[in-house]
Amino acid sequence: MTDYNTLSDDAFRAEARAFFEAGFPAEYKFLPRRMRWAECRDWYLALSKKGWIAPNWPKEHGGMGLSPSKLLIYMEEYERAGAGRMPDQGLTMVGPTLIRFGNDEQRKRYLPKIIAGDAIWCQGYSEPNAGSDLASLRTEAVLDGNDYVINGSKIWTSMAHDATNIYVLARTDKQAKKKQEGISFLLVDMKTPGITLRTIRNIAGHEEFCQVFFDNVRTPKENLVGELHKGWTIAKGLLGFERLNIGSPRRPLQALEKLEALAAARHLFDDAGFVERFTQLKLDLLDLGSLYGRYVDKVRRGEALGQDVSILKVWSMDTYQRLSELLIEAGDEFGAVEGDTTVEGETVDLISPFYNSRPGTIYGGSNEIQRNILAKYVLNLPS
Amino acid sequence: MTENDHSAMLRDSVANFCRDPDLARVRAIGQNHAEFDPAQWRQLADMGWLSILVPESAGGLGLGLSEAAIVAEGLGRALTPEPYTAVAVLSARLLADCQSSSLAVELLGGLASGECVAIAALQEAAGDFQSHSVTAKAISFEGGYRLNGNKQFAIGAAGASGFIVQALLDNKAALFWVPAGTSGCATGYTALADGRRYGSVSLADVSLPADHLLAEGPSVRGIIDKAVDHAAAIASAELVGLLKRTQEMSLDYLKTRVQFGKAIGSFQVLQHRAVDLYIQQELADAVLREGIAAMDAGLDASARAATVSRIKARCAEAALQITRAAIQFHGAIGFTEDCDVGLYVKRAMTLSAWLGNPRAHRQRYAATAIRQEAA
Repeated sequence: MTDYNTLSDDAFRAEARAFFEAGFPAEYKFLPRRMRWAECRDWYLALSKKGWIAPNWPKEHGGMGLSPSKLLIYMEEYERAGAGRMPDQGLTMVGPTLIRFGNDEQRKRYLPKIIAGDAIWCQGYSEPNAGSDLASLRTEAVLDGNDYVINGSKIWTSMAHDATNIYVLARTDKQAKKKQEGISFLLVDMKTPGITLRTIRNIAGHEEFCQVFFDNVRTPKENLVGELHKGWTIAKGLLGFERLNIGSPRRPLQALEKLEALAAARHLFDDAGFVERFTQLKLDLLDLGSLYGRYVDKVRRGEALGQDVSILKVWSMDTYQRLSELLIEAGDEFGAVEGDTTVEGETVDLISPFYNSRPGTIYGGSNEIQRNILAKYVLNLPS
Repeated sequence: MTENDHSAMLRDSVANFCRDPDLARVRAIGQNHAEFDPAQWRQLADMGWLSILVPESAGGLGLGLSEAAIVAEGLGRALTPEPYTAVAVLSARLLADCQSSSLAVELLGGLASGECVAIAALQEAAGDFQSHSVTAKAISFEGGYRLNGNKQFAIGAAGASGFIVQALLDNKAALFWVPAGTSGCATGYTALADGRRYGSVSLADVSLPADHLLAEGPSVRGIIDKAVDHAAAIASAELVGLLKRTQEMSLDYLKTRVQFGKAIGSFQVLQHRAVDLYIQQELADAVLREGIAAMDAGLDASARAATVSRIKARCAEAALQITRAAIQFHGAIGFTEDCDVGLYVKRAMTLSAWLGNPRAHRQRYAATAIRQEAA
């Protein structure tokens, strides 16, 4: 199998670009919503066949074993080609978690199915009363014979309606002194009796997330990942790289490109007021690129990312929102049109970047939570 | 030694020099006009810092903007009032590019040794930081030249040995050396927020010998544009030095000031404001370093202009935000003359206004980068 890490960055980028551009179905490029499994299954399997489905996994488990810098190139090219996000919790969360914290039996049982596209995972973290304060979660799991019995509910579970499995943070010790203690990480088959599901329609009209209810749901005790009561550590283990990824300028850049095209078509660059606001936003984005580059260099040198990487997520998503808002304003009356519309001969969807940018400041630790983290761990402000 | 070793040594010596700055002196310059201290200037020269951008052929070190930025960041941190950027960057770059003038080489030697404090007097109109509009005139006169005109916004004029002046010669741009004290050359001063002063130079029938013409013709525009861009970038390094110091002062205060029985830095609204300013600090630092490295590696004129405008717009805006927020973080004490915060607020204002404020640089960025792309 090819060791892509031995390729030059340019050579790897060229191969990734060619593959993603030609391979990803044209009708789904730059889709303004998450793809359903039925829509992306063929693409998932094509990536799997090429050995490219799990770029971040080690080769021994069927991944590409990419170095962080090659992984960034992979992600940049993936987004550049307009390739949509698939139900990827198995690839981004379950795989790396089992590789790091699971046992051989779990790895053997679950990893090949993820690679093959036979198992689609979703994430059971948030609850109706445990969002930003995730550690206060109340879904509980009690050992009964050889099974854990789970009761409670999880919410904002993206793509649960396409999932075959869910990983769940559940309280296993209600007597623990700190709320972060006494939480365990469990794997559950979605077909288990007692699981029910309702979809939640989001503000853009798409059904991407769900609420999942657990009523005496039994999962074998072999599905406990890591130590009992130590699930919080596992949940926090993989966040740094996720924040670097969310903090990439790629997503706001797509909004900027739309804004530039619209402004040119509508002759807004003749409007000094618009130019001033546009320039400010463009510089906000370019300067994010400079800052992002500094963290990428760090990754490239093999240095660990500290908590300060959160600044990328805050600024990137904030800039994305401001760009999407100016895009709507730049459309004047067209800024109220839902879906595709034609402005001066250009087909544009002025509202979807607005919708797509809203959850970015909420998920993965809201921007306010990121600021708390930065204040505490980077600026060392007292609590 | 590698280039990095050189930079690390320079960084160390700058840090040493700028430790425990004499802020009492900085506070007093508004009254005593001692903004230029010859002894301090001699020290900067002895450290070799004035020579960084002077070519080796003219007795300098021939280093890059990266090294000048290290010095400027330290001096900005220490609020050093001497015109490092005005002389060792703006004037040094102007003179270094006046290649056919033997006087320019001589002046550069003096600039490097600290004996010649050359100050550029290019600008005539507010907002025109590249000095595109020129009304000052030179005519050939008795084997030399005679100059008439008015210049303003010359930082560092108080210690000037002479001025590098732009004037039209036969309707074409030209640069002249006008020694301070030349008959007909008068310097006026305008007090600035930080106690330093803009110099305005009025030239009334100033007679100069022929060799005082430093450059003329079409090359002058390019010489000025480059020197001003480089100086604006290094002024931004001063801004980054001072904004980092200010942010440190704010964070220290947030950690120690107690109200409602707690350190005020425990309050979330202040924490989040401090974080937002920290993000601006990191953006400024990242843009500055990336841009300066790119300039040292070589950029064409329009890429350089776009880069410098990004740098100055971000660094100045961040410095203004961070220093102004520092007043608020410190509360009433932050509004007193005794509090050091005010010194940083005021220096941020003068450095921001000099060589193009954030608005002017965003406008130039739009004119060079955005409209061209759109066209």
